[in-house]
Amino acid sequence: MAGRPIIEIENLSHTYMKGTPMEHVALKGANLFVEEGECVAIIGHTGSGKSTLIQHFNGLMRPESGKVLIDGEDLSNKKVNLKTLRQKVGLVFQNPEDQIFEKIIGDDIAYGPFKLGLPLKEVRERVKWAMSVVGLDFEGMIDRQTFALSGGQKRKVALAGILALKPKILVLDEPTAGLDPRSRNELLDNIKRLNKEEKLTVIFVSHNMEEVALLADRVYVMADGTDVLNGTPKEIFTDKEKLQRYHIGTPESVQVLYRLTDLGYEVKTDAFSITEAANEIIKVLACKKECSKHVQRI
Amino acid sequence: MSSEFEISKRITIGQYVPTGSFIHRLDPRVKVFAFTILVLAIALNTSYIGNTIGLVLSLYLFWVSKIPIRYGLSGIIPAIPFIVILAVLQLLFQGQLFSHGKVYVDYGFILITSESIRLVVVSAVRFVEIIFLSSVLTLATSTTELTHSIQSLLSPLKKIKFPVHEISLITTIAIRFVPTFAIEMEKMMKAQASRGADFGTGGWWRIIQRTKETFPIIIPLFNIALSRAEDLILAMESRCYTPGGERSSYTTYQIAAKDYLALVTGLLFAILLFAYPFPI
Amino acid sequence: MKKTLTVRDIVIAGVLGAVAILLGVTRLGYIPVPTAAGNATIMHIPAIIGGIMQGPVVGLIVGAIFGISSFLNATVPLFKDPMVAILPRLFIGVVAWLVYVGLRRRNEYVAIAVSAFIGTLTNTVLVLVMAVIRNYFTVGVAWTVGITNGIPEAIVGTIITLAVVLAWKQIGKNQKSKISKDM
Repeated sequence: MAGRPIIEIENLSHTYMKGTPMEHVALKGANLFVEEGECVAIIGHTGSGKSTLIQHFNGLMRPESGKVLIDGEDLSNKKVNLKTLRQKVGLVFQNPEDQIFEKIIGDDIAYGPFKLGLPLKEVRERVKWAMSVVGLDFEGMIDRQTFALSGGQKRKVALAGILALKPKILVLDEPTAGLDPRSRNELLDNIKRLNKEEKLTVIFVSHNMEEVALLADRVYVMADGTDVLNGTPKEIFTDKEKLQRYHIGTPESVQVLYRLTDLGYEVKTDAFSITEAANEIIKVLACKKECSKHVQRI
Repeated sequence: MSSEFEISKRITIGQYVPTGSFIHRLDPRVKVFAFTILVLAIALNTSYIGNTIGLVLSLYLFWVSKIPIRYGLSGIIPAIPFIVILAVLQLLFQGQLFSHGKVYVDYGFILITSESIRLVVVSAVRFVEIIFLSSVLTLATSTTELTHSIQSLLSPLKKIKFPVHEISLITTIAIRFVPTFAIEMEKMMKAQASRGADFGTGGWWRIIQRTKETFPIIIPLFNIALSRAEDLILAMESRCYTPGGERSSYTTYQIAAKDYLALVTGLLFAILLFAYPFPI
Repeated sequence: MKKTLTVRDIVIAGVLGAVAILLGVTRLGYIPVPTAAGNATIMHIPAIIGGIMQGPVVGLIVGAIFGISSFLNATVPLFKDPMVAILPRLFIGVVAWLVYVGLRRRNEYVAIAVSAFIGTLTNTVLVLVMAVIRNYFTVGVAWTVGITNGIPEAIVGTIITLAVVLAWKQIGKNQKSKISKDM
């Protein structure tokens, strides 16, 4: 992945309510580098600074100290055009369905493009594209009322509302939280497709390690306001010692594989995708017949 | 700049400042009652002497509460322009209504009398008194204590079927949800800004457009509030909450001698300010 | 009180009270439109909505919460007077409910809109009446403020109440999206 750097964050710090008794350090010396076209996951506990960090990506927060470069633009420069920046970096908050305020689906998705001052035809094209990307039928859904939708569909509408801005970078804060399994899988597929086919750079915050293992090219681990670890999911999830030090959960597949190793089976612990893990388990099961003596000894 | 959206961390409701003073340790019911009658008595008093007494009393109470003076001043200093504007308005236009006093200036429509001057002075001083009194109450009493005492002060009204417990539960819910909704609102402002919302772009004379610009925040805010309400209703009903049922309380208060002392003092001052015919 | 409050009354009054307090302590409660004060307040809208949704008692309670919060947060002499800050606010939700119930049978939209308009005017007018009674304003000043502030504020109040109530009650005509038909 030798793309051009699109997000460069160096030594970023942020303190809320500075100089008051309620002062709270959210970020201290955080670093993050993302290359164009990458899919990067940010994991870490509540309060580790993930949300504060991602709000720097589209200028909702300005760097207090440290450097934030987004697509080559330095955000400490006061003259940065926030509107262009926010169009370039689409930020999807947690439970984005809350932000739907229009009565009609089409109007809500078109809100952002209209705010960009685009002509009606262009807006229509973008809404059509955004809806097709998230899997909403344009003709059938555009005039429907927003309140009649299910939770999963509402989230699709909200996501389409951001995509209609045609961002280069898509940032998602716990995108699948609170979704039913089916909507969750659909959403993950959509994110994957946006990254692979539409070539969007994707950064997402997640507590779900299966998702991280499935989607991310690279993972950043945050703790106490700074980045403590980064690497491919393989590197991160196989580093048992660090996983424990930072209290990071592992995908269930990895947990099963670790338990198998502990029991004396020879499995590859870096096979954390569901299919790979399944293959490893099948190998064990197959072996079980042949080497039953070995198992009995244990 | 980075604080553009930081409302949830900035709003303070019931800015309790614990100093452990005499006033902090008073029974909250006594505090709420005494302060309420004092504020009412001051609001209705129009004499110079009465308001001087009120001013000294409120400053004294503020001092006793050991709360840093800047908390009181921060309520007054930003208001100075308004006090001045109000004073000028009253001085210029209220004279006709107060022509019974000694006339100082009578020029065209402007009539300044001793009584209109009294109005100007008393309005300004009364403002200062009430600022200090209400800050002592809210800075020296936690919100839990406040709701508790409102409930117990209203409890005699149960006899006339006044829903005391319900009112106090409503107050508790309201105070409980302010920070929650503030966080939601902040998130909403950020989320809408992220998709290009900006406020105050249309000409300021375009009322309807300006109003519609707030929809992306206001409509979700009410929707979130009302759907939280639905969740809470369901939770309460499924636990068989019945309005009006008799309930015991985790905290109980014991009135001590110091509380009686404070109560009697408060009452005496209130009666003095309310009923005594001060000469000036 | 003719009947006891239901769980729904209590909870709705509570959350609307919270919204009223929140609008009062943030700048969101003010919409910058041309009025004498420089902006229109929308902090009274929860009281109107409370009246429309749950009846006069809830409207009155939300109004009281709004009044007390506005009294405690006041930075100007006019509203640091409980007679001006609290008393008039008790009537907002009650009046809104009366109007709503009176018109509901004819047309839901009209009922909500008129109720919001009159409810907002109730706030403006009663505050000004108290301001005159308490000698903050002369009748002339009150009239000027009433017209320059009251009318825009009532318009703003109507638009917002209508939008919020319709969104929540999920009533809407079968509209088409702005972008559903080409040009």
